[in-house]
Amino acid sequence: MSEIANKLLEGTSKPAPRPAMLVLEDGAAFRGTSCAAEGEVYGEICFNTSLEGYLEVVTDPSYAGQIVTMTYPQIGNYGVNPDDAQAGEPALRGLVVRDMCTAPSNWRSVLSLPDYLRDHGVVAVEGVDTRALVRHVRDCGAQRAVLSTVDVDEASLLRKVRASEPLVGQNLAATVSCEKPHAVGAGDLPASHAFAVAPAVPACHRVVAYDCGAKRSILQNLVRSGCELTVVPWDTPAEEVLAMAPDGVFLSNGPGDPEAVEGTYSQVEKILGQVPVFGICLGHQMIAKAAGAAIEKLKFGHRGGNHPVMNLLTGRVEITAQNHGFGLVFPSLGELVPELSGGFKGHEDDLRFWARAGIAPVVDNPRFGRIRLTHVNLNDGTAEGVAFLDIPAFSVQYHPEASPGPTDAHYLFTAFGRLMDGREDYLDIDIAADRLAGWTFGEQAATVAGAEGGSHA
Amino acid sequence: MPKRDDIKTILVIGSGPIVIGQACEFDYSGAQACKVLKADGYRVVLVNSNPATIMTDPGLADRTYVEPITPEFVEQVIVKERPDALLPTLGGQTGLNTAVDLARAGILDKYGVEMIGCDLAAIERGEDRKLFNECMAELGIETSRSGYAYSLADAEAIVAELGYPVVLRPSFTLGGAGGGIAHDQAELHEIVGQGLELSPAGEVLVEESIEGWKEYEMEVMRDHAGNGIIVCSIENFDAMGVHTGDSITVAPAQTLSDVEYQRMRAASLAILEKIGVETGGSNVQFAVNPDNGRMIVIEMNPRVSRSSALASKATGFPIAKAAAKLAVGYTLDEIVNDITKATPACFEPSIDYCVVKVPRFAFEKFQGADDTLSTRMKAVGEVMAIGRTFEEALGKAMRSLENGRSGLGADGKDAGLPDGEAFDDLVARPTADRVFYLAEALRRGWTVERVCAATGIDPFFISRMADIVRVQENLRGMHLDELDADAFRLLKRMGLSDAQIAHLTGADELTVRTCRKLLGVKPAFKTVDTCAAEFPSSTAYHYKTYDADETEVAPKTRRRAMILGAGPNRIGQGIEFDYCCVHASYALAEAGFETIMVNCNPETVSTDYDTSDKLYFEPLTFEDVMDIVDVERPDGVVVTLGGQTPLKLANALAEAGVPIMGTSPEAIDLAEDRDRFSAILDEMAITYPAAGMASTYQEACVVADQIGFPLLVRPSYVLGGRGMGIVYDGAQLEKYMAEAAKISPDHPVYLDRFLEGAVEVDLDALCDGSQVYVGGVLEHIEMAGIHSGDSACCTPPFALSEALVSQLRSVARDLALRLGVVGLINIQFAIKDQVIYIIEANPRASRTVPFVSKATGVPLAKMAARIMAGEKIADLGLPPDDRRLEHYSVKEAVMPFGRFPGADTVLGPEMKSTGEVMGIAGNFPAAFAKTQLAISYALPEGGTVFISVCDRDKRAIVSIARDIVRLGFKVVATGGTARALRAAGVDCEEVKKVHEGAPNVLDRIAAGEIALMINTPFGHATRADGYELRLEAVKHGVTHVTNLAGAQAMVAGMEMARANGLTVVALQDLPQWG
Repeated sequence: MSEIANKLLEGTSKPAPRPAMLVLEDGAAFRGTSCAAEGEVYGEICFNTSLEGYLEVVTDPSYAGQIVTMTYPQIGNYGVNPDDAQAGEPALRGLVVRDMCTAPSNWRSVLSLPDYLRDHGVVAVEGVDTRALVRHVRDCGAQRAVLSTVDVDEASLLRKVRASEPLVGQNLAATVSCEKPHAVGAGDLPASHAFAVAPAVPACHRVVAYDCGAKRSILQNLVRSGCELTVVPWDTPAEEVLAMAPDGVFLSNGPGDPEAVEGTYSQVEKILGQVPVFGICLGHQMIAKAAGAAIEKLKFGHRGGNHPVMNLLTGRVEITAQNHGFGLVFPSLGELVPELSGGFKGHEDDLRFWARAGIAPVVDNPRFGRIRLTHVNLNDGTAEGVAFLDIPAFSVQYHPEASPGPTDAHYLFTAFGRLMDGREDYLDIDIAADRLAGWTFGEQAATVAGAEGGSHA
Repeated sequence: MPKRDDIKTILVIGSGPIVIGQACEFDYSGAQACKVLKADGYRVVLVNSNPATIMTDPGLADRTYVEPITPEFVEQVIVKERPDALLPTLGGQTGLNTAVDLARAGILDKYGVEMIGCDLAAIERGEDRKLFNECMAELGIETSRSGYAYSLADAEAIVAELGYPVVLRPSFTLGGAGGGIAHDQAELHEIVGQGLELSPAGEVLVEESIEGWKEYEMEVMRDHAGNGIIVCSIENFDAMGVHTGDSITVAPAQTLSDVEYQRMRAASLAILEKIGVETGGSNVQFAVNPDNGRMIVIEMNPRVSRSSALASKATGFPIAKAAAKLAVGYTLDEIVNDITKATPACFEPSIDYCVVKVPRFAFEKFQGADDTLSTRMKAVGEVMAIGRTFEEALGKAMRSLENGRSGLGADGKDAGLPDGEAFDDLVARPTADRVFYLAEALRRGWTVERVCAATGIDPFFISRMADIVRVQENLRGMHLDELDADAFRLLKRMGLSDAQIAHLTGADELTVRTCRKLLGVKPAFKTVDTCAAEFPSSTAYHYKTYDADETEVAPKTRRRAMILGAGPNRIGQGIEFDYCCVHASYALAEAGFETIMVNCNPETVSTDYDTSDKLYFEPLTFEDVMDIVDVERPDGVVVTLGGQTPLKLANALAEAGVPIMGTSPEAIDLAEDRDRFSAILDEMAITYPAAGMASTYQEACVVADQIGFPLLVRPSYVLGGRGMGIVYDGAQLEKYMAEAAKISPDHPVYLDRFLEGAVEVDLDALCDGSQVYVGGVLEHIEMAGIHSGDSACCTPPFALSEALVSQLRSVARDLALRLGVVGLINIQFAIKDQVIYIIEANPRASRTVPFVSKATGVPLAKMAARIMAGEKIADLGLPPDDRRLEHYSVKEAVMPFGRFPGADTVLGPEMKSTGEVMGIAGNFPAAFAKTQLAISYALPEGGTVFISVCDRDKRAIVSIARDIVRLGFKVVATGGTARALRAAGVDCEEVKKVHEGAPNVLDRIAAGEIALMINTPFGHATRADGYELRLEAVKHGVTHVTNLAGAQAMVAGMEMARANGLTVVALQDLPQWG
């Protein structure tokens, strides 16, 4: 920005502008100004359409290897409460926003987002026409990008980004998994959520959770629904897990290309059928890989908090939080079983066919028997959830823990408990009945209030 | 599930006249609903008394009844049309209440009409405070704690639990009279004591105060399968204590973290389910304690509301359309997202811009009224602005208000604000202009913290404003040529207008514009697409921003016509003009144009994204309109259908080379400029009232000597009748001149001969340059001196001779041709002693165009648009304009006095009405009676009529009083009037005037004895006896008439209604043309 422009900004909440630049491998370039740590970072460009919940996005380990663009222009408005973070350290490579707020306002805010990012060394740019960027990514697809505050020469950055390592094939889960097994329980729930989020029910199931980059809120939701958790590294051998004799095994979300996470899915194959299993996001893909299914890379992924997903068992639509760039190719799980699929014999590419028909089709999987498609994305007809009929296992591609996003699918945590209890109808839960299950209202809000900071789970 | 086929005919109830709190947003929602139901193959029957609506266009529903929205009339419609279902949730509170009345009275059951969308029980749970609180308690969601007090001791006991301050609301008082906030015991005793007395039930609700909390609104939709979505979250800029309708609001919510927002979301859906809203849209309001996040639900509306309209425009998600489809059985996942045309409507819109709504007030019209904003809505309209940031959107909104401001301050209009405590009060007290005082406070160096502490407004918003003000102040005093492209871009991104930049740099606006464009700083146009660009969208709903890497305007493929809308609703410029713009858009589309609508009013049909081919949601300023012209390159721009707002841009646009459609700016000027217009009238030998101009009392006396009293006086610098008055003698003139000099010393006052007792006539005509078509001649019921917008009128004229009417036509023809009108012209005549005077001529669509169109079956605005596009009247296929109509149509104005306790209710030359109703019947009195029913929902049936008239009217009142007695009413009158009546042999009781001591007429009103009040004031007096009387009448909801002509029509109407009953008629049964 010019000197005169800087002069106009004097005395505002905006810091003195320092140039920054984002360049995509196809040559698209976006200028802005630096709004957090200085540096030069490489990653896959993606965008998230959540209106709020930026801290949850920034700290979601599944964003490892990515430069995230927020589509909502003004980010940081309500500041940062570290209890809302999904991991101790942000794993994303960089952040792109239209406008970064340095003067936030919210009673729970401890520091501003730019300060938080700077503290954690995250490179971020503001002032970018993010809508133009998002339209470009939507039309031209996900690709490598470089974000730099040290080199703002377009040609130089383009050369560098084209030489950078692509995301496909990288095992990013390994980079965000825990180092050794550890327990997570009711004591780890953040106190500063108590004004709004229901306390844990008494623990009644012992669950081992594979950590491929698990979001804290998933673990917290499991704890709240009565799980006593042992969180283990991504590549923990199945034998060790089974030796703990858990009531169930949970497979977490995680970043990047599922093909590269063989260390997990090879073990999942051994666990399936032994104990009840529930997988979310990458965990869903791990189960699919274990069943021998194919995984595809989506053009620009699903990232946001407004995707409609139909539960084919109930016909109800859930508004879901999503964050994935790869997805299950449902027909690759096996041949359709017509007698369990409304008489239909052939697979449909667009799975919304089944939503319209009101049928939850079943395939015959060579390894694990019958698998039912339970959830379909109504925006693009991709697979969002499956349930195994011959072994106790189910998984969803989207995020029932939300964080950020709507909590319509909270019932899936309840369902996992019911599965571990051996109930056949474990997935048959009315969203409306479960609607307020995870929340609390009322007087305790006022009394626990002001517990800023709290325990950092 | 597909749509229901067990229902064929659906009755839709509209919301009636535009009143404060219930405006044209319900035309928008109702019109959407009718359209979509009809498209789905249903037979739609509509009842709405408001003629200025798109929804009452005869083409929109199958059967359209412009009839009073009362259970009696709706039952008649039900008997005639035998609908299978009633959709009650799209007609505001009026529609909902009427549906409830019909259900409770057993009428729906009797005729087998099913209520769809929401059943009676759910409506009751949503509306009844006690039932609602019980439902919330069952959910475990907090409502504000409260209790009912029947004595002072009760109240104290409740306060012991809640603590001070408490909000006190006496039950069942009109307009919340007697309520207040008590901060200590003394105040508690005072207010509760008073409240117990005022409340017919002797009951006062004592409620914990949540003033100063943050306020949020969630727009929720649900289908019968139980799928629920949040369409939009809205955060109020003003803290709790200011009605949402009076508050600046922002979408989406700005300062809630995910955990807070998601909890509110889950609660909203749970509340909808609990209340039992089966399908459709609702809104839920919450208050959040800014110190600890404690969340309280304030209320929910089980229907489409004002905020639904705002949410629809803010997100692109058509709530009303979806609600109608859901009501007939579709589920959300079966409805396609209208904007993307590819994804389902079952999702939650994600937006990548910020939306700011700012209310528009009209306190200047209601002198004496308290202008402090409170929990009772007072705004008459609103604007919405879209920007990529709050700063950009706020700046746009502040220059959209049509109040002479160029943005958030920095336009030289804040000079003269006081200092010290007076200024502190301006900042602290919520008023119409407070946002400007906040900016001024920041400019004066108040810290963000100080402003927040004084106002309770969230620091987020104040910080953003502080940045804007800082940048403005940094710019102040710089020279325009110091600014480079980066600087310009920064200023524009901060929401500054060219006019503000001009003011701050001492340049003029055009130079700023030229300079900016030379530096290449041009805006981009982005799209409202419901999905933050995640999916491609084919709908051209655009807004302007200076995030200008990419613009999304599609290239031109055919002729483009651009229609400039009317901006925010305000008194004098309402929905009528939006109606005209929408019609023009339809007509020009039919004529092969690509139509482009520009407007900033979220309540309207014109800003529905499917009304025109393209919609630009932008302020109607020269800068903003020119920016759109630059990218769209329209072949013609329509400026004559949106009222004064676009009309005043005509010259500047023409000078900038923009092709104006229809009447040329030169012709507009000819009619608007007093001197030029007078010269034309002289040339054509048309009479007009003698007039003069004066700056001092002395000068005024000279003028008065020349033309004689009474005089119509008005300041020369305002439009819309503001500050107008009638003076009858030198003393009143002196007082008026003194006040005018105080308000605006630099502007002279116009003095016109006031034609006392003259009959006023409005005439709307089309002209193509060579032929004139008189659309309608409207005879006013009130005599001259009452603003034409406030006067009832009738077409065809009910008392004018045919010879006179044809004379009026001939004058109109000559004048329209002489002025060179191409399109619409409205002429106001006064007729006194058989002489025709021209009061004024407006070469544009008038307020009466929709009414005339409905009364005559000729859609004038559409025809005007076709003429502007080059067609000739001869080719339009119109019926002869002098044909005889078989029915009479009366338009009556609707007044907002109930909202402005303290304001005088006397009608005068300054317009005060917010809306209008129409009555259609075989004769004038019956049509007039329908309009009264449509407004007050009941005609006085019996009891006592109070009469007090000024000396001028004493003779004429006798025959009216005689009729009143004949109809079985008792008459009470004040001294002089009683004497006149008795002298004429009319039996009446005498009652004391207010200043004559107690007991007087006020007590009779307060006791509920008076069914009708006839009180005509004299001259300019506002503080006189009559003033208090009329205030009392408003407070107790007594029908009152302030002029004789109105009284006469009222009496005739009552008689007609009683004698024959009033029957309903569908517009489709009257002749329709075009």
